[in-house]
Amino acid sequence: MIAARHISKSFPGVLANQDVSFDVSAGEVHSLLGENGAGKSTLAAILTGLYQPDAGHVEINGARVALKSPRHGLALGIGMVHQHFRLVSQFTVAENISLGDRKQNWILSTKKVEEAVREIGERYGLPVDPRARINELTVGEQQRVEIIKTLYRGAQVLLLDEPTSVLTPQEVTTLFDSVRTLASEGKSVVFISHKLGEVMDISDRVTVMRDGKVVGKTAVAHTSREELARMMVGRDVDLSAIRATKPAGAPLLEVRGLTAKSARSQVSDASIVVKAGEIVGIAGVSGNGQRALAEGIAGLTPLIDGHVTICGTDVTSKGSIAARKAGLSYVPEDRNGTGLAPSLSISENMLLTEDLPFLVNHKSAIAKADEAINAYSIKTPGASTATRMLSGGNVQKVLLARELGHDPQVLIVSSPTWGLDVGAVEFVRGKLNELRNQGRAILLISEDLDEVRALSDRIYVIFEGKIVMECPGEGADVTTLGLAMAGAST
Amino acid sequence: MTQESVLILTLAGAIGTGTPLVFAAIGGVISERAGIINLGMEGMMLIGAVTTFLVDNKTGSPLLGFIAGGIAGALLALIHATLAISLRANQIVCGLALTIFGTGLASFIGKPIEGANLEKSFNKLKIPFLSDIPAIGPVLFKQDVLVYFSWFVALLASLYLNRTRTGLSLRAVGENPATADAMGLSVVRMRYAHVIVGGLLAGFGGSYVILRIVPAWSQAGTTNGIGWIALALVVFASWRPLRVIAGAYLFGVALQANFALQAKGITVIPAEFLAMLPYLLTVVILVVLTANRRTRGAGAPAALGLPFVRDER
Amino acid sequence: MRISLERRGSVKSWHLIGVPLLSVIFGILVGGLFLEATGHNAVLVFQTMSQTSYTTLYGIGDTLAAATPLIFTALAALVAFRVNLYSIGAEGQLFVGGIFASGVGIAVGTSSSALAIPAVLIAGIVGGMVWMTLPALFRAWFGTSEIITTLMFNFVALFLMRYLIYGASTYWRDPTSTNFPQGKKLDQNAWLPRFGTQSIHWGLVLALVATIGIWFLLRKTRFGYQMKVLGDAPNAARYSGVPVKRMTFTVLIISGGLAGLAGASEVAGRAHALDPNGLAIGLGYAGIIVATLARLNPFGALIIAIGFGGLQNSASALQSLGTESVPSAIATTLQGLILLLALAGELFVRYRLKVSKRVEVSA
Repeated sequence: MIAARHISKSFPGVLANQDVSFDVSAGEVHSLLGENGAGKSTLAAILTGLYQPDAGHVEINGARVALKSPRHGLALGIGMVHQHFRLVSQFTVAENISLGDRKQNWILSTKKVEEAVREIGERYGLPVDPRARINELTVGEQQRVEIIKTLYRGAQVLLLDEPTSVLTPQEVTTLFDSVRTLASEGKSVVFISHKLGEVMDISDRVTVMRDGKVVGKTAVAHTSREELARMMVGRDVDLSAIRATKPAGAPLLEVRGLTAKSARSQVSDASIVVKAGEIVGIAGVSGNGQRALAEGIAGLTPLIDGHVTICGTDVTSKGSIAARKAGLSYVPEDRNGTGLAPSLSISENMLLTEDLPFLVNHKSAIAKADEAINAYSIKTPGASTATRMLSGGNVQKVLLARELGHDPQVLIVSSPTWGLDVGAVEFVRGKLNELRNQGRAILLISEDLDEVRALSDRIYVIFEGKIVMECPGEGADVTTLGLAMAGAST
Repeated sequence: MTQESVLILTLAGAIGTGTPLVFAAIGGVISERAGIINLGMEGMMLIGAVTTFLVDNKTGSPLLGFIAGGIAGALLALIHATLAISLRANQIVCGLALTIFGTGLASFIGKPIEGANLEKSFNKLKIPFLSDIPAIGPVLFKQDVLVYFSWFVALLASLYLNRTRTGLSLRAVGENPATADAMGLSVVRMRYAHVIVGGLLAGFGGSYVILRIVPAWSQAGTTNGIGWIALALVVFASWRPLRVIAGAYLFGVALQANFALQAKGITVIPAEFLAMLPYLLTVVILVVLTANRRTRGAGAPAALGLPFVRDER
Repeated sequence: MRISLERRGSVKSWHLIGVPLLSVIFGILVGGLFLEATGHNAVLVFQTMSQTSYTTLYGIGDTLAAATPLIFTALAALVAFRVNLYSIGAEGQLFVGGIFASGVGIAVGTSSSALAIPAVLIAGIVGGMVWMTLPALFRAWFGTSEIITTLMFNFVALFLMRYLIYGASTYWRDPTSTNFPQGKKLDQNAWLPRFGTQSIHWGLVLALVATIGIWFLLRKTRFGYQMKVLGDAPNAARYSGVPVKRMTFTVLIISGGLAGLAGASEVAGRAHALDPNGLAIGLGYAGIIVATLARLNPFGALIIAIGFGGLQNSASALQSLGTESVPSAIATTLQGLILLLALAGELFVRYRLKVSKRVEVSA
């Protein structure tokens, strides 16, 4: 049984945890529910020993402990499975599990580890080949390795940080079965998430956090989705589906047989149409070619085959400048790194997708930036602040302000609300809906199936670089979509 | 005693000439496997060389000289480690600064002994039996003890990297320091340790040059850029110690080229152009490796050159 | 009590000047200690240095003349470094620039100055560019490390230059020099005129023009903006539509041209002939130090180059101090030391120390 008592922790400019208390017992699944930025990850990091609290302490079985490092935490039985896996992709499963294990001999021998991996895998429904290299495994399998890793080291308490965001619906079911098995064997599981439905499904108790504080603690049996949502957000928020109010118009984006490669992402023979006044969603698990698709259409990467037509103009392999001139704007998933240059100021970044003359006019850029800061309520010291200093929601606002400032006919957005707090999510969704009503064509690429289902008029599913399904957004069936995302459709 | 042909002499000489590269490049492999690029190698080799000269002439013991040279290189590497790891400076510029500093310092210290001759050094050590094998015998087994030591170092490095727990940890630090840190390894400590060992080996490389190749100190031409060739050799060997040996001897042949050709009576090609050979060879090899998409970056530690910062928001 | 490092939100301008300045001061202090420790009279050394370089009229003239090639090589370095292209090839590009410049100079020497001087300078720029072409191509298209390729080419250029003068009787060698091979002297019409204390030549003016030109390129033009983006986030550059491979190549070529111009300036302005020994004194490498200390700022590089020019200048004077002589390597050693200190101090520009007390609140 572990507990956090009156934890406070702050970072420059941010009070991440304020007087937070939380506990979980053996055999229990206790969820930490809250929106992005609520402070869940910070609390988890303190529980595992990654951060040290500014105030308060952690208890294990009633005794105070000062966790000095994640290794210390693990030695005391607390392990965490992070959202971004801590795995060395060039190593095998067994090597990853042996890493840092002081009980190993100095001369390596992976036999014992391999046996243990097989045994743990069987016991908890997490099968994986110990000799496989991490970069050969699927994301779901990699997650299993992470879980096995903590169990191998003797963890009695497992913290799972947003584990389902990278899984298909079927994989989520398998994961939940494993979690229930773990709990039944007396382990404690802390399930950290912002997904209400899953929390209600898997947990015994739930603690809700908002703005760094605990705002509610209850048994799942005694509460409801609406109540949890209200606690999570502090007000009533309508995140239900929004559909188009008018029928779609002419096709503004036509993609035929697109085949392209970008970094480690590949797409082949993809055909998509997006009409004026509609939002088309691309659903799929991360890493199935979304990036290559987006970059191929937007002109960032040359096409190996296929055609792209924007507002009637053929822009196939003509580059991103041609695509922009034809009326396209692209808001990429990698905001500060692709969409923006992080060390450059907001005003300098406003020029990134402009057709610049020989001499750059910095003054007008600053004026544009000031305008955007006002219009979109961007929280920043000023237009000369580097975009790396802005928080997630504000970064996205800068991107949207810039791209929408070009008045695009076609807009591609990739993971537009990932990592944003509720206010920012509402804002972005609202903007997208507004654009749809204005008759623009929007291509929404997202790994968040709920988001795709809520916003899209039509949905395509991408799997291993191919479009494997198309269906209307209204009434799209989760199971069918999930199967398609996992490649199981016909 | 049979008269040894020019070919045998050249190959045997190439092993000698290539040995500083073996030491330095393995040092480079160790340091880069931890994720730190050390461009200061040339400076460390020179400091190693001048220190070896001074200590050897002072104490009359080439062994002490050799060890002192290694320590000198390690000390310079400590500066690099402090700057690159704790002070988070740009590794490339740091290394360049160290080379310039090391070169200048070595030249400064070496001024009083410029032109002087090294008094005592290691001699060739014949290994019985093995050295009588026709062809390869005289080439491989009539070398001095430091050459045999370099083989030992390469073998040790290879076993260390691939078969030991610390070696696995080291590779993790170079591929994914965030993960290594999360698994409880001390990234900082491992990096310091291995950068210093890298400097030690670079120092040994410089030591060898002065002990066996050019036994006199001259500011202009002691290492002549082989510290840089060693860096290319690390890439060429895909960061694997045993491959380093093969590559080093290949370069050794190139470095020997003018002597060999002159001995054969071929004087058509001017000495200066022959001297260019190892450098051009380095470029050719690097280009071939990177032009082929399959070999491009093959084996490179993923986090090479990037500073590791935990806790940064 | 815990001391930790925290990234700064914005960089204050006094840091930008303070760090190099403090490094110089500390460098001098440490250097002085080192000199004393090795049996030299530090005070005398520094006195000699300031007399020969900084405090007398002729000294300042010599310093400016010595600084001239450094300004070019520093500009060459900073242009490339700003885009994370670590070219260390200025040394070799300077040599080849000198080779081309002297070759053309010998050929057109007897034509009018109006023709000869521009021809020589352009030849120098072309020479530097030519020498950078292969490493630039390899880097832009294959990603081959420009660090190693440019360095290797430095050695090749050095040997080439030596060959042309010391190796054989070539077009570049002066046939009348019997004792010690020398480069053929250029005709007077191809010389860059001198002014001031007579050691300063018009190369300095060119260097000033180049500094302003590069500043303008970086700050005011679209190309400069694209360079800034590319240097910060290559993916953002790609997203923006910048032709990354072409820009990589172009930036490197510009760098090569600047270094080549350094060689031409030395040949046409200082030695009036191709002089391998006079050229191969580490001007390219020193330029990198200057550029880094100046935090890749063109005007900062100008100022620091003058400072380093003085160091370079004094070095030879120090060698001939008789019993108190100091090896000329003191110049490079001091330069390297100052840079190391600046790199260490760089940390405080980007991060600040945070001292925090742990507060325990009982439950």
